[in-house]
Amino acid sequence: MPLGEFAPSRAFTLGVELELQIVNRHDYDLAPGAADLLRLTGKRKLAADVKPEITSSMIETSTGVCERHRDVITQLLEVRDALVEDAGKLNLRLAGGGTHAFQDWSRRRIFDTPRFKQVSQLYGYLSKQFTVFGQHVHIGCTGPDEALWLLHAMSRFVPHAIALSASSPFVQGTDTGFQSARLNSVFAFPLSGRSPFHLTWESFKVYFEKMRRTGVVDSMKDFYWDIRPKPEYGTIEIRVMDTPLTVERAAAIAAYLQCVARWLAKERPFEPQEDDYLAYTYNRFQACRFGLDGEVVDPITAVHRPLRELIRETIDAVEMHAIELHAERGLMLLKDTLSLEHGTDAAWLRAAQERERYLPEVVRQQCLRFEGVAP
Amino acid sequence: MNPTLVGFFFRSHPSPARHVLTQQAWPMRQHGAPASNDDAMTESLWTLVTSPWTLSPNTLLGAAVLAVLAALAGEAVWRLWRWPRLVGYGLVGTVLALSGNSAGGNEPALRLAIDGALALLLFEAGARLKLRWLARNPWLLATSVAEALLTGIAVFVLLQSLGLPTEACTPLAIVSVCVSPAVLQRVVGELHAAGQVTERLLALAALNTLYAVLAMKLLSAGLLLSDPRTWLEALSPVLFSFCGSILLGAALGEGLALIARRFDLREDNGVVLLLGAVLLALVVAKTLQLSALLVPLLAGIWLANRSERPWVWPRHFGSAGSVLVLVMFVAVGSAWTVEALSSAASVALGLVAVRALAKALVVVAFARPSGLGMGQAACLSISLTPLSATAWVLALDFAARHPAASVQFMPVLLASLALLELLAPLAVMVGLRAAGEVDAQPLHGRAA
Repeated sequence: MPLGEFAPSRAFTLGVELELQIVNRHDYDLAPGAADLLRLTGKRKLAADVKPEITSSMIETSTGVCERHRDVITQLLEVRDALVEDAGKLNLRLAGGGTHAFQDWSRRRIFDTPRFKQVSQLYGYLSKQFTVFGQHVHIGCTGPDEALWLLHAMSRFVPHAIALSASSPFVQGTDTGFQSARLNSVFAFPLSGRSPFHLTWESFKVYFEKMRRTGVVDSMKDFYWDIRPKPEYGTIEIRVMDTPLTVERAAAIAAYLQCVARWLAKERPFEPQEDDYLAYTYNRFQACRFGLDGEVVDPITAVHRPLRELIRETIDAVEMHAIELHAERGLMLLKDTLSLEHGTDAAWLRAAQERERYLPEVVRQQCLRFEGVAP
Repeated sequence: MNPTLVGFFFRSHPSPARHVLTQQAWPMRQHGAPASNDDAMTESLWTLVTSPWTLSPNTLLGAAVLAVLAALAGEAVWRLWRWPRLVGYGLVGTVLALSGNSAGGNEPALRLAIDGALALLLFEAGARLKLRWLARNPWLLATSVAEALLTGIAVFVLLQSLGLPTEACTPLAIVSVCVSPAVLQRVVGELHAAGQVTERLLALAALNTLYAVLAMKLLSAGLLLSDPRTWLEALSPVLFSFCGSILLGAALGEGLALIARRFDLREDNGVVLLLGAVLLALVVAKTLQLSALLVPLLAGIWLANRSERPWVWPRHFGSAGSVLVLVMFVAVGSAWTVEALSSAASVALGLVAVRALAKALVVVAFARPSGLGMGQAACLSISLTPLSATAWVLALDFAARHPAASVQFMPVLLASLALLELLAPLAVMVGLRAAGEVDAQPLHGRAA
């Protein structure tokens, strides 16, 4: 499938995708309920869309094109309430979080569509280990070159997004020590990581065709990059976030990325360059491992600084844009996260496990939090 | 299974003890033998310790050989065809029945194993039933009530039209309502089935077992109370048994919840605690003549519903439970006799067919509003066939109290058990496979 033309969209419009965990109410392990849930939710008229994901215990919801943080939160709350109600009828429950705390990956079933079966055949156990749950944020761009410029400018903020959303400390029943262990499964894919440095659509097209000729990829879908252009939507898609435990945090992170994008595009505080990627994987590791307490390095100045400080500064820097975009409420939530020592979702999960010492109960509380019942 | 086969247990119990356990309260003694047999028992135990054993099927040999055969048969059907191992246990039982060695259900040690296994399985079945689900999905509750009612009525009408007397029709109709949670637990566990059909199957079975046990208690009480000569004397034991079973079930559930909070039930020590508590409650229930079926079932339901905290323990409480479950399935598999089957086969066939039809009708009719696809409803209907240990024990207990009626209904029940013993686990497997809720496992070697 050739790359296709970039369909321009309105600048800084937002779209949010959330991959959610479907669990049973008996032992709170993942449950293969996607098809049943889709059958029930499909009967509803919702602003957001609901789709299957690669294994049958995941479900993905995506908002329509949103202008403001408020649109995102309204749509996400609506679809969340609908899904929670339908799951209840099926004796299932939904949770946020980047990983399921104790699922056994070998037990997962691949959702029955040709593409998922094909991916599963190619990647083998990786595709089952890929039972991780992410948030993707689309940001509208007026043209392809603008999109590529923004894509590479945003790469400095990838660690911010990871640290703010980190909600996957537990994998296969153990505490990994990471704040976001989910990304470790993503990195196992051969076409994951940063995207190649092309600032014009023409040169990107050449790269894509070369790759396609090798037979390694067929479409943009085969690239699992942290940020990738989505020509048919006219967006760039930021894919490094864990699904947060609440839709409120998901919307807030989307608002943060929207404000940063507008600030970058309007004020051009720096020009993206290949050298931005010198410390890219190191910084991303710091964010995954230590979250807000991770220290990232500026590849140009070589200064090391904690992410908590950098995010606080960025929120201040984008203030005017936040006012323009009516995103203040979202940023407020993130500021609260920064000021608390254990404000992140990963810290919340660890605190719950510290208290209960019983991961099924932690998952149950995670469900309550997603449903908006638990604080 | 006659005493020669699980001989070890029976040898130590002289014959007067045989019928005591099912018909009377258990005395609070370690072996359940009446006091007068104490000396004889001590003596036979002593002989067992000091003198060399004779190799005859009448000793531990019989039980051991059976366990080995059942395990081998179970593994064979699993390796060859990926059938549930349970079918293998049933096969060994069938061979016993065909060779004229049917289990009568009255041998004390065997009955002890069966009651123990059933208690564990019913406790597990109860613990899977989330009452809040019924509140969130009232159509599921409606399905459950309607399928139980229609099954009972349809079987009753059929048996009456075939000329069976009412006093035999009623218990049979009630027993037909319940779908064996024991078989379901076992097959679901072995196949690692998970999904909507599995969930509903387990919920419906737990509910209709609850209805059947309660209805049987009511029927038994009704028969006792309807006799003008005995009703006054019967009243207080009936009330005591009814309320006592419910209270003991709740107490066990609550007690376990309070203690088990501090344990990890996935670990051996926690399992021993759980196993001990359930068996202890069984002993108390037997001693006070409460329902050995109702108490564990209610305890499970209470534990699962008093708070939303999830409880996770190894299936059938680990290996100790698995041994009891194996013994139970071999015994139930051998419960029928060739004479019973040949005399009542046609009636039993009618019962099994009408029962399946009634359940399927309701499940399919209520599928859409309860959020189930039509294909899933068909799979669920097929899976709702098992009739096993619960039905057998219900009937045995009823027969012990009302021997007159039992002559009429026991052959039909035993013939139905014989028909379904091997077919039902396969039906469950087929239903769950067709619903796509079973993990794909390669036919040879271990699952990847």
